[in-house]
Amino acid sequence: MNDILNNIFHSLARLFADLEAWLAPFLPSQDLAAYLAFAFYVLLLLGGGLVAVLARNLVRATLGLIITFLGVAGMYLLLASPFLALMQLLIYVGAVCVLIFFAIMLTKNTSDGEEARCPRLSNLSLAGLAGLAPLVVIGPLIYQGTSSLVTRRPADTVANLGEGLLSIDLLSFELISIILLVAMAGAVYLAFRPHGGRAR
Amino acid sequence: MSPLTLFLLASLILLALGLIGLITRRTIVGLLISVELMLNGAGLSIVAAAKTSSITGLLDIHGQLAALFVMGLAAAEATLVLAMALVVQRRFGQTTTDSLTTIKGS
Repeated sequence: MNDILNNIFHSLARLFADLEAWLAPFLPSQDLAAYLAFAFYVLLLLGGGLVAVLARNLVRATLGLIITFLGVAGMYLLLASPFLALMQLLIYVGAVCVLIFFAIMLTKNTSDGEEARCPRLSNLSLAGLAGLAPLVVIGPLIYQGTSSLVTRRPADTVANLGEGLLSIDLLSFELISIILLVAMAGAVYLAFRPHGGRAR
Repeated sequence: MSPLTLFLLASLILLALGLIGLITRRTIVGLLISVELMLNGAGLSIVAAAKTSSITGLLDIHGQLAALFVMGLAAAEATLVLAMALVVQRRFGQTTTDSLTTIKGS
């Protein structure tokens, strides 16, 4: 039985190796593949962001937000920081989006609620101005001011990150633990209603 | 265009979308979604600047850790906004930003 499985596995592996050797001239180079992946992630980011901003149903907006988070996680992968991509999925998609869903459900934001009406035209034009402002002001600066110093470098290991967390970023590490504790205590204090008492 | 320019432009798009959302949304939860968009753009720009510079070693890791701290702050902020939305819903009966007119509720 084991021999048969082994045989199947080896023939499959040989088949894939042959296939890869045959396809090699047609596959894109590493740079082109990176640019294609970047374009795909930008599409995810733009589409998800537009849905998150313009959808009139908050649940759909949150789904768009999740797609944007996935796009940003892919960009972290392209930037050779896989640990950050994993954390992006865990913290944002896993925790923050669930929190937003809870907020939607606990505040009775129904599909015909306050967000369902289209915003006024004056509001929309102001929003367009506000969105254009950073593009117009910071965009040219980015376009002119950045130089390409990029070098291919290996991904950092988690051990390196932990070492940095306890040496160069020790103060921020301690501070953010305090901030998380205070935020948690504050949230419990705000939302807690004593038995039979009225809300704060 | 250099890779750093591309990544920074992507994060700039996130910032612009978040600003648009901040103005057009009416409820607190909608504002929370827009702020999360902008925070994501900030983290992406930090990591892009750290990973495409000529600096390697601990200072390069510094950038990634800064993005991790941004994520932690975003999580803390989301928790607090959830609690605040609950309190506002109890006191005013709705969560539109226009309804928040008094500090000490009746």
